[in-house]
Formats: sequence, structure tokens, C-alpha cells
Amino acid sequence: MTALELRDVNAYYGNSHILFDLAMDVEENDVVTLLGRNGAGKTTTLRAITGTVPRREGHIAYRGEEITDTAVERISRRGIKLVPEERRVFPTLTVLENVQLAHELAADPRDVEETFELFPVLDDLRGNLGRNLSGGEQQMLSVARALVQNPDLLLLDEPTEGLAPVIVDDLREVLGDVVERDVTVLMTEQNVEFALDLGERAYIIDTGSNVWNGSVEELRDREDLLEEYLSVGTGEA
Amino acid sequence: MSTHSLVFSQIITGIGIGSRLFLVAVGLSLIFGVLDVLNFAHGVLYMIGAYVAIVVVESVAGSFALGVVAAVVAVAVVGGVLESVFIRRLYGRDEEILDQLLLTFAFVLIIEDSVRFVFGSGGKSLTPPEVLTGTVPLGAGLSVPTYRGFVVVMAVLVLAGLLAVLRYTNVGRIVRSTSSDREMARLLGVNVPRLYTGVFVVGAALAGLGGALAAPAESISSGLGNSVIIDAFVVVVIGGLGSFVGAFVGAIIIGILTAVGSEVIAGAGEFFPFVAMIVVLVLRPTGLFGGAEV
Repeated sequence: MTALELRDVNAYYGNSHILFDLAMDVEENDVVTLLGRNGAGKTTTLRAITGTVPRREGHIAYRGEEITDTAVERISRRGIKLVPEERRVFPTLTVLENVQLAHELAADPRDVEETFELFPVLDDLRGNLGRNLSGGEQQMLSVARALVQNPDLLLLDEPTEGLAPVIVDDLREVLGDVVERDVTVLMTEQNVEFALDLGERAYIIDTGSNVWNGSVEELRDREDLLEEYLSVGTGEA
Repeated sequence: MSTHSLVFSQIITGIGIGSRLFLVAVGLSLIFGVLDVLNFAHGVLYMIGAYVAIVVVESVAGSFALGVVAAVVAVAVVGGVLESVFIRRLYGRDEEILDQLLLTFAFVLIIEDSVRFVFGSGGKSLTPPEVLTGTVPLGAGLSVPTYRGFVVVMAVLVLAGLLAVLRYTNVGRIVRSTSSDREMARLLGVNVPRLYTGVFVVGAALAGLGGALAAPAESISSGLGNSVIIDAFVVVVIGGLGSFVGAFVGAIIIGILTAVGSEVIAGAGEFFPFVAMIVVLVLRPTGLFGGAEV
């Protein structure tokens, strides 16, 4: 069953046209990675789905219901949760308050303690303010905040960006656990290895349009695509 | 009266003035801290609160408590209408700040003239209830007017209540998260338009409370809104926009400077608060407690 369907989606920031007639399907319980160079439109695609892009056109449907003109908070309450690229933990709230807030706002939340069990590093930092966390800790908190809301569709925007390899490994472990729990995942990622490791299907976006989609196994064998659109193998990645 | 008694008396007067000022400034600060709206009409909301209390006590109920409650409710409703019908349309505009100033200043003019049309331009006041008249002795020959003490207690209770809600409740977490990152709060499911109306209503209600409590303490006229909004802005600049504790400390500082200053240089009580504001702006542009809570 199709969880998310995008058809002829165009998105704009002011006069800048970013997405051009983008089309995409994400099946229930699938893990889809959105690949492409910087500026290709990956983050804008996630923002279009969550309703946070200033202007969007076309059709975005979630579980068969149109959400193109739905307010951001209503999209969230339908179970679509975003872990943004900049983490955006609330700086004046403690780790515990960040998680509690997300818990209280969710329609069918996961248990707070159960969520902390997934993130031992956060368990020791419950009383720390969000602004005092390291980049890796903030990323963990951002993911924890989304997971405690028990998402049906989890959108991850560059989850490994700027993280130390050891934190990336921790994150891979947590997200591996998440994808086994019947959560549909759509993820943008510059770290191709991480994306291909976690993902099942992949879309490649270039200058705001979908240029390829298929299985991750298929993509691994397409060195031409990896080189042309992701700079993998050219020494630029 | 000895010098010590005079200074003490003026400080008590100043704390009373500051407490009333706090009730209007804290609402202004709350609304700015969460909504990023500089509400010039906040002073006229205070003035409406004073008039509603006077009308209810004098002509309808005769009960001071009922007058205060009526003022709080009436001004909360007016605030809710202002935000949800008018101010909401300005969010996200390119010239949002300028548009806010023009819109809220227009309300100042409209409401002030409407009140003058209905009540005339003469001053009105209210007699405090029997139980709040007289003085409370403090020993050593010093005493505090009971009503002034009551207003100070109300201000402290409001501050404590606001801090408790902000720090220990889910509503407080929602307010703090939205004030720091509006979009992320929406992504987690916060209904920001509804929250904004709620915060504006609370801020307006506090102005209504301040106005009602001012009615027995000062002369109420249609120009009250203009004078109090200037003082309230001085308070939030000194205390720090968005800080409740800052609004309280700033209000008390302004109240004391006004009261004591008028004794130092007769008729120049208004001079000292502005000097204090300039000093704070130069030494600490974000105010004494800038951004501490909201």
C-alpha cells in the first residue's frame, strides 16, 4: 500500500523555483533514501511534505488523503514527523522537557522511558539544556523527540551530517531498530554508504526533478549514476 | 516627617506604582516574547480594564472583586478579538513590524476616542473596598497603605503564577518551545495560531487586571493608555523583552525612581526612568534579564 504519493509537485522560495513536477511514491514500511547533490532539492522535498515550504503546488497525498494544503501541525498529527537537518532542539528546554513536550503533543505517543532506553547517552543528560548539548547529542535528541511521537512516517533530513563516525554508528543502530518496527522512513542523506546501508529503495533528485528511482541493490551496481549525480568514485564525495 | 520616613514612604509608593506597572508590562513582554508582536494597544487595554471595573462597581454590582473579574474577562475578550481578527493577518508579512505598529497604534486612537466619547475626558476613580482601606503598621512608626500592599501582593502572585506555569506545566513547555522555534513547534504538532490567541488573551487579561487595580489608586481618563504604554515599554527595555522576572524588576525600579525622583527634583519624577533606560541600553542592550524565560 502506498503511504506517500507526490505528483507534479512544484515548490518555491520567493521567486526561486526549487522543485519541478516532482513525482514519488513511498510504500508502507519502506525505507526510502533521497539522494542528490547539495541544492538538488532533497530538503525542499521534505519541507513540501511537511508543509513548511513557503509555496507548493501539485498533489501530495498521505494514505490516500490529500495533504497539499493541510496546515503543518495537522500533517504532524497525522503521524508524519520530521527530524530536521539543523536538529533544532529547543535550546531553553532540558533534554527531558524536549522529549516530554513531543510526547504530550502526539496523538499516540511511545513511552518516554522506553524512548530513553534507545538513547543511553541522553538518559544521562536529562537535566541538561538543549543549547548545552554537543552536535551528536542534539542529533540524538532530535531523533528521540520524533520517535517518542511514535511516527507512522519518519522524515530524516541528513541525519549523519557533521557527526563523528562513532555517533553515526550509534545512529545507524537506533534507526535500524526503528525500521524494524513498521515505521515508514523517507531520508535524505549525503553519506551514500549510510543511505544505501539503511535504505531499501532510492530516488535520485537533480535540480528539483526525480531523475532515477529503484532498489538500493540496483543502485549499488549503477556506478554511472553514483558518479554523475552523487560524485561517488570521483573523489568529490 | 523625618527623612527616613519620607524615603521609606516614597519607596513604598514606588513599589505600588511598580506593581501596577508590572501587570501591564508583563503582558506586553509575554506577547512580544511568544508572538513577536509589539502591541502598542496594550496601554488602552489597561485603560479599558480600569473603566470596566469602574462601571461595574459603580453602576451594576457594587462589588470590587466582581469589578476586577469583569475587567479581566472583558479585556481578555477584546484582546482575543484583536489578535484573531486583525493582528493574525500580519504574521509573516515582509513589513510585519511596521504593520504591527500601524495597526496597534490605530487601535489606540480608535479606542481612546471611543472611550472619550462615552465617558468624557474628565478623570474617574474608584473607592477601594472597606477591607482594603487604612494602613498596615510595620513597626518603628512606619506603615503601608493597605490597598498598596494588596496590589504588591497581587503582582507577586501573578509573577509566581506565570513562572510556575512556564516552568512546570505542559502549556509552559509549549510556550517556551514556540517562542524559540515557531516552525519546529508546529512540526511537533503545536497549534500555533491557537496558542498565539491564547497568549494574547492572557496578556490582555493581565492588562485588564492592572487597569482594574489602578482604578482606586489613580485618576482614570481616556489618555491613561498612552502614558502607561510608554512606561511599560521602558520597563520591558530595562528588564529585557520576553522576561517575566525582568518585567517585575524593571517595573519596581521604574516605580521607585518615579516616586523617589519626584521628591529629589520636584515634578521631575518621569525624568529618572528614562535615564535608567538609557543607562541599561548602553551597558546591557538586551536588558537586565533579556530572554531569560520566554
